[in-house]
Formats: sequence, structure tokens, C-alpha cells
Amino acid sequence: MRYVVGYTADARGHDAVCLAVALARRQEASLDLVLVTPEHSLFAGTYPPAKNFDGVLSDQMKEWMDEGLALVPADVTARGVVLRAESNAEGLMRAAADPDVALIVIGASSRGPGARFNVGNVARSLLHAAEVPVALAPKGYRRMEPVTRLTCAVGRRAGAGDVVEVAVSSARRRDLPLRLVSLVPLDAGRPDPDGAEDAANLRLREAAASIGGPVSVETAHGTSVEEAIESMEWDDGEILLVGSSRLAQHLRIFLGTTANKILRTLTIPMVVVPRSYTSPRTTPGQGAPTTEMDA
Amino acid sequence: MSIEETTRTEGGLSRKGLAPGKVGLVGAVVIGVSCVAPAYTLTAALGPTVAEVGVNLPAIFLVGFIPMLLVALGYRELNNSMPDSGTSFTWATRAFGPWVGWMGGWGLIAATIIVLSNLAAVAVDFFYLLLSQLLGDPAIADLTLNLPLNIATTLVFIALACYVSYRGMETTKTVQYVLVTFQLIVLGWFAVAAFIHVANGTAFDATGISAEWFNPFAVGSFSAFAAGVSLSIFIYWGWDVTLTMNEETRNPEKTPGRAGALTVIVIVVIYLTVALATLAYAGIGDGELGAGNPDNQGSIFAALAGPVMGPFAILMSMAVLSSSAASLQSTFVSPARTLLAMGHYTALPTSYGRISPQYKSPSVATVAAAVAAAGFYVFTRLVSENALWDTITALGLMICFYYGITALACVWYFRAQAFASGRNLVFKFLAPLLGGVILLVMFVKTAMDSMDPAYGSGSELFGIGMVFILGIGVILLGAVLMLVWARINPAFFRQEILTKGSAPKQ
Repeated sequence: MRYVVGYTADARGHDAVCLAVALARRQEASLDLVLVTPEHSLFAGTYPPAKNFDGVLSDQMKEWMDEGLALVPADVTARGVVLRAESNAEGLMRAAADPDVALIVIGASSRGPGARFNVGNVARSLLHAAEVPVALAPKGYRRMEPVTRLTCAVGRRAGAGDVVEVAVSSARRRDLPLRLVSLVPLDAGRPDPDGAEDAANLRLREAAASIGGPVSVETAHGTSVEEAIESMEWDDGEILLVGSSRLAQHLRIFLGTTANKILRTLTIPMVVVPRSYTSPRTTPGQGAPTTEMDA
Repeated sequence: MSIEETTRTEGGLSRKGLAPGKVGLVGAVVIGVSCVAPAYTLTAALGPTVAEVGVNLPAIFLVGFIPMLLVALGYRELNNSMPDSGTSFTWATRAFGPWVGWMGGWGLIAATIIVLSNLAAVAVDFFYLLLSQLLGDPAIADLTLNLPLNIATTLVFIALACYVSYRGMETTKTVQYVLVTFQLIVLGWFAVAAFIHVANGTAFDATGISAEWFNPFAVGSFSAFAAGVSLSIFIYWGWDVTLTMNEETRNPEKTPGRAGALTVIVIVVIYLTVALATLAYAGIGDGELGAGNPDNQGSIFAALAGPVMGPFAILMSMAVLSSSAASLQSTFVSPARTLLAMGHYTALPTSYGRISPQYKSPSVATVAAAVAAAGFYVFTRLVSENALWDTITALGLMICFYYGITALACVWYFRAQAFASGRNLVFKFLAPLLGGVILLVMFVKTAMDSMDPAYGSGSELFGIGMVFILGIGVILLGAVLMLVWARINPAFFRQEILTKGSAPKQ
């Protein structure tokens, strides 16, 4: 199993490498540090014609890659990959097309003071198009020790069940404590005539019962997403798991404000699982689909 | 997939291939025409050239291509033998050593910085013209004459182009096809409309076309001839891009040559048609719409498109604006890469060699180019009476300077191979030698003439012509900076990084 790490030779790339190491440990996953180099088109009309800028660039890439690989501790296997693509997101998705790749790890864009997460272009494209889970490292993430707890946040939207299943199987496989958080009261913030909150919480409790290890169920409350996220307790070694259908909905409906609020408020890494994500190696005929999602 | 291989070649140049086999003949011609940017070039250069050579404009347009062709042949040989992002800088350093090489690089950077400021200014003129045409309010077009507003808008345009270039965003193939086709159609439309006015007797100053217009020897003086040729070097600047495409074309043996020939035919036809149409319609007098009117020199289409094309003049505004805006953005790449190469070889502070980790584009170098272009424009605008006119004339001077050095670098670098074959004799010796000598003669002559305060738009500073100050002043500034840097970090000048050398005997 391999993780594709969106590496850039700056603090953001460093965040991604640290998170990738933290996730790869105990999973025996190896890392592909991917540097994307832009494709220069002749149609760009560069004049006077100067050949070999690519040569200078490739020297620089090599130097950067050496720096990146030096960040990875000896107990984690890693290799460097440089590939050409029109955009960083496209390059990462191409690197992740290999069925052996189980996760893309990137640093969230770090624009704006104080904002831990502020989804950049690369993250946004990936979150809408990637076919494997995407892990987002918050700004300044330097922890490399293995993950200590898994939190899965779900709302009432379609796909919530899938994410819970992914979370349950991941936690079980990694022998991690799992916390299930219901965001239902925050969804739309309106009265709940059809009892969706109860149904969702029931589902979470059922899921909790099915898992052997330590598991807790919480409901997020607050007048805003920000407040709800802030009022909860988060461990340093924790990872938050959410479904992308949920995020996409929010990005579309609230033009990124709600999703950005969750992201900005969070101080821990977040893994976004594609809607109906199942690993290619899912064993058929079993109840809950197992997955290679490694959060 | 593994880390891409990089090989080191002799002399310290690093080399890597490009993606092969992509561009066909039509694509190469589109690239060539887009680099020439005929709509922008004509509006910027037609007036100043008429001011020098009058009705002999067509003759100068034809003759001006010859030194361009000769130098471009040498450029191609150097590009194939020593592909490097430093181009003129690197080649002149290899041939003549660090001092001449540094000045060659400076000339290239200065030329592109000057053209950047002119491109932005022309774009701003047509931006306000287009706005006034869209809103039907002629007063808006005059906003560009408001000095503080004009400077502010131009700086915004430069900053935007710098940002786009820094982000590594490029004009795509489709956009380039559309832009080029649109430019050619609009220029053709302008010419046809002008001729119709002449035929109907509604032209401003109908002037009968004469065969004498095509006679370069009819130009009054050598001074006018030299000035005209150095300006027409600018109008073909960009054409030679086709010759340097090799592995990038589907048929490397034939496509570059054919594309170069086809591009120059397209360009010459459109230039001559528009030049003849302009002269026939407006004459060279200094009347309201005359091509000789100093007010019309900086941007001829801004003055003529309305009367000639009527309500469709808005198309000309769109053509010039899109052409200059696209060129503005793509031209940023060039000084940035030369600065980057100079930083890389320690001919400048190494911070110029920095590449943005996120966008993989030159970071410090791109911003430096923008700051220089902005500074140059503000200075020119404040001091000169007609900034566009003077910058274009100074630009012609600067291109002659660095192209001349590049051509002679080719001759000197390949000296051991020059007489090995007939091909070498022509392409590596005779053509660049003749082209280089012509350009340097034009350079010296124009530089001497431009000391006269009456030269160009007639602006002066301390009794010296503005064009001389902009052209030679910038070259001298480079020489001073070079001496300062050589004291601070002499490694490059001691040939510790790039060594002087020549192509081995074949």
C-alpha cells in the first residue's frame, strides 16, 4: 500500500510529509513524495525563445526532492516522484491512479494569518475529484507519531453511513479508540419534524455497538459550526474523518464558508472520504465493506 | 516514475529535452504570429517609423526584415548548440567572456523591460478607448491622458501580468488560435475599409500609392534609414521563435523552416497592406488624422480606427487590447528567465535564481522584472512628452544592441567550424556576421543621432535627447551595476562558473 504525498518545498509540503509519516506508521504504507512540474506549452508565446528553463527547473526539483526525502524518518519507506502535469491537483490524481495507492496527503493552503486550514486550489480540486481519500494537514503540523484516536463526523446527508463504516473498520484494524460525532443539529439549523436527529443518533449508537474497541458517541451543539467544533475536545494525535459528499454540499450551498469554518477551526488533520468509497480490494459478500482507508 | 535525470555538459550548462512532436505547421505559424503580435506592433511602430522615413515605410518594412533574418539564423545555431534559459547572456559569455556576456544579458533584459512598459501603456490606451466605445462616451477615452490615472492603471496592468506569469498561467492553444485569427481579420478589415474610403473620396488625406514607396534608397538620409531599420527590427521581433522549434514540432526537419517562411509571408503581407492603407488614407502630413501628426505617433490605430472603421472600430480596440495583454503576460517570462539564469550562474545575487516552490516559476526575478518595467514607465511618462513614441524608439536601439552582440557571439563561438562546410559558412559565419555588423552599425548611428534633443518626440533632459537617455542611459546603468556586482561577488567574472570557450572543430 502506498500514500501519495503532495510535496512542495515549503512549510505546507513539510506539513504533508509529517502527516503522511504519522498515518503510514503502523500501517506499513510506503510514501511517494510527488513533485508536480508544470507543462510549458509553446503556445504560451514565450519570447525570446529560451530553451532549457526545464533543465534549471529539474535541477531545482532534484534538490527539493532530496530535502523532502530527508524529512522522512528511517522506519518509513519513501521515494521521490517528479511528474509533469497542467496543475498540481491533476498531477496528484494521476499519481494516485495506481490501484495500490490508498490515500493522498496534502498540506492545506496556508494563506491568511491565524487560519489553520484554508482550503487552497489544490485541495479544492482534489476534494471534488479525487477517487481516493484525501488527508489534509493543518498549517504547522509537525507531529510524526502514530495516530491516537479517530473521530468521525456525520450529518444527515446521504453517504453518512458509508463514512461511519469506513471509520469503524479503520479504527478496528488499527486498534484505535473511535469517537462518532453527530452534526445533525447543525445541519440547516432548523426544527427537526421528521426525527432525523434521533434516527441519526440511533445509527451512530448501533455502529458503536458493533465495534469491539472503545467507542463514544457525541452530538455537536452550538449556534455555529465554528462554535460546535471549538466546544469539542480534540487530542493532538487525533484525526477527523468526514465524507466528501457532506463537504461538497456545504461548499456548494455555503460557497465554502461552512466547510472553511470547520477547516479553519480545526487544529487536527482531517481525512475526506469520497462518497461511496470502497477499496478495490473489498471482500465481497461481507456485511460492512472493509476498506483500505487508513486514517 | 522516478526523479528525472539531469545531465551536465561541458562548460557548465545543464541540459534537458522537451516533450517531443507536438506542433504542426499551422500551430508553429500561429505561435510565430502571436509572438510578433501584429496588431500591437503596428499601432506602436507605424507612427514612429513614418516620422523617420515618411512614405518609404513599405521599403523600410521590407528591408528591415533582412538583418532580422540574418541574426535569427545565428540565434538558431546557438540555441541548438547551447540550449540555455540565459540565451544571449549565456552565449555571449561563452563566446566573449563574462563582461560582454553580462552586457548582452542586460541588453536582452532591458529590451524586454522596455517592451513590457510599452505593452502595458498601449493596453491601457485601448482599455479606455474600448470602455468609451462600449459606453458610448468619448470622454472616457481621454481618461488615458490623465497622467496620474494613466500611470496608476498601467501599474495595475503590469502587476496583474506579473501575477499571472508568477502563477505560471499560460495562454492556451485555443486562445492563441482565436487571438491570432481575430487580429489578422481586424487588421485586414481596417486596410479594406481605408482603401474604400480612398476610392470613395472620403479619405482624410488621400495619397496615391507610388512604386517609389518601395525604394529603400529613396529614404532621405542615412540617419533616417538607420532609425527606420532599427524600428523595423522591433516589428519583426518575435518572428524568429519559429526557427528555434525543433524537437517540439511534428517534423523537425522541415516544419521550423517552413513555418518561419510562412510566418514572415503572413506578417509582411499584413504589414504592407496596413502600411499602404494607412498612408493612402491619412498621408504623412501632421493634420488631425495624419500619420505624421506627433499626437498620433504613439498609437496610430487609436487615432485612425474610428474614422476608418466607423462603429466597428471597437473590434480594433479589442484586437489591440487582447494582443498587447497576451504579449504583456507572455513577455514577462523572458526577462524573468534571463534574470534567473544570471542569478543561477552568480552573475547577479543568487536570490534572482530562486524558483517558487508552489508555482515552479522564477519568483524574485519575475517580481524584479515587474518593478523595473513599472519604474521605467513612470520615469518615461513623467519626463517624456510622448512616452510611447520614445520607448519604442529606445526599444529598437536596445534590440539592435543585444541582437548585434548575440549575432557576433555566434560568429566567434563557431569560428573553428565556420569553414568546415558550405552550410556552416552561411549559417554560422556569413549570415550572423553580416546581420550583427548591420545591427551594431544601426545601433551606433541611431545612438549618436538620438543625442539631438529634437530626436524622437523631441523630449530632452539636460539638453540631451530623451531616446538617448532611455537607450544609452539604460546600457550605462547596466555597466555600472555590473562593475558594482563584480566587486561584491567576482566569481562569475573570474570565469569560475561559466567559462569562455568555443565550439570544437568538426
